[in-house]
Amino acid sequence: MKKIDFRTDILPLKNELYRLALRITLNPAEAEDVVQDTMLKIWNRREQWDEIESIEAFSLTICRNLALDKTKKAEAQVGQLDESHDPPDHSYASNPEEQAMQRDRVDLVRRLIGQLPEKQRSCMQLRDIEGKSYKEIATVIGITEQQVKINIFRARQTIRQKYIETEKYGL
Amino acid sequence: MDYKYIEQLIERYFQCETTLQEEQILRAFFAQDEQELPQQLRQYAPLFAAMQPEAALDENFDERILSLIEEPKVVKARTISMRERLQPLFRAAAIVAIVLTLGNAMNITLKQEQAQDDINYAAYKDTYDDPAVAYDHVEDALQLISEGFSQVQRADSMRHDSLYSKVQ
Repeated sequence: MKKIDFRTDILPLKNELYRLALRITLNPAEAEDVVQDTMLKIWNRREQWDEIESIEAFSLTICRNLALDKTKKAEAQVGQLDESHDPPDHSYASNPEEQAMQRDRVDLVRRLIGQLPEKQRSCMQLRDIEGKSYKEIATVIGITEQQVKINIFRARQTIRQKYIETEKYGL
Repeated sequence: MDYKYIEQLIERYFQCETTLQEEQILRAFFAQDEQELPQQLRQYAPLFAAMQPEAALDENFDERILSLIEEPKVVKARTISMRERLQPLFRAAAIVAIVLTLGNAMNITLKQEQAQDDINYAAYKDTYDDPAVAYDHVEDALQLISEGFSQVQRADSMRHDSLYSKVQ
């Protein structure tokens, strides 16, 4: 069995963990705290690394649980994913107006994802952004593959529906 | 360009029937310039653009984590047995013992040397002027020693004899 090294196997997961934590907490500072706590927790369990089937799934599970704990504590304040930092521009549209509009639409989709129930959000994050299989997601979240599929299905349907509605009638 | 395949993929995507590879194809397809997309597909572009991973932690994060996990390693308590704890004392005691032994040995050697030096034959004085008188005295002295010897020898030999006879 492959020996797991913290620097080469676990530390590089930080951005993936961060994105999941951000998707759940909707707060960059809290998400960073969650990733830090996750790393420390994994480090403290280093005696058991060899027994863990997938260190990535294990890390994601810990990260999700810590993020959920954190959001439960801060339940009172309804947060929104703060998009103060400009997302990198993937379009090469020459027209600045077009660019701005496209960015607005992408932001809208992100906000819509943020409004989904946590389970759908996490499933969608892992599937559509991190490219994980249904099986892996099921392991991370601790539900069946079928349930993962249902969550993702609902998430995609909701996003499409709400996106089209908003585009048609405005916010 | 035929977009039937893409349209089909989109439909299957929303039904959750696409594979990971197919979803990757969709994301890659919608990552291109929006202006080049056909009108009917353009509306989906933001949906897939929003799925690009972008949020990332800064560079300092690694160092912070590594410093956090390596600190406890240094302070990690070491269990010291009683033996290990007393080892310096044992060492000190051993050194003292060695020094004492050496000192004693030196002392004894020095004393022996001094004792040997006490016998100074040159300091002896003649006691008799007449050799005949001196000879008599020496004879008497030797006689005394001889008697002493023979007594001890007899005692020894008697015991020896009795033992010898017993054995026989």
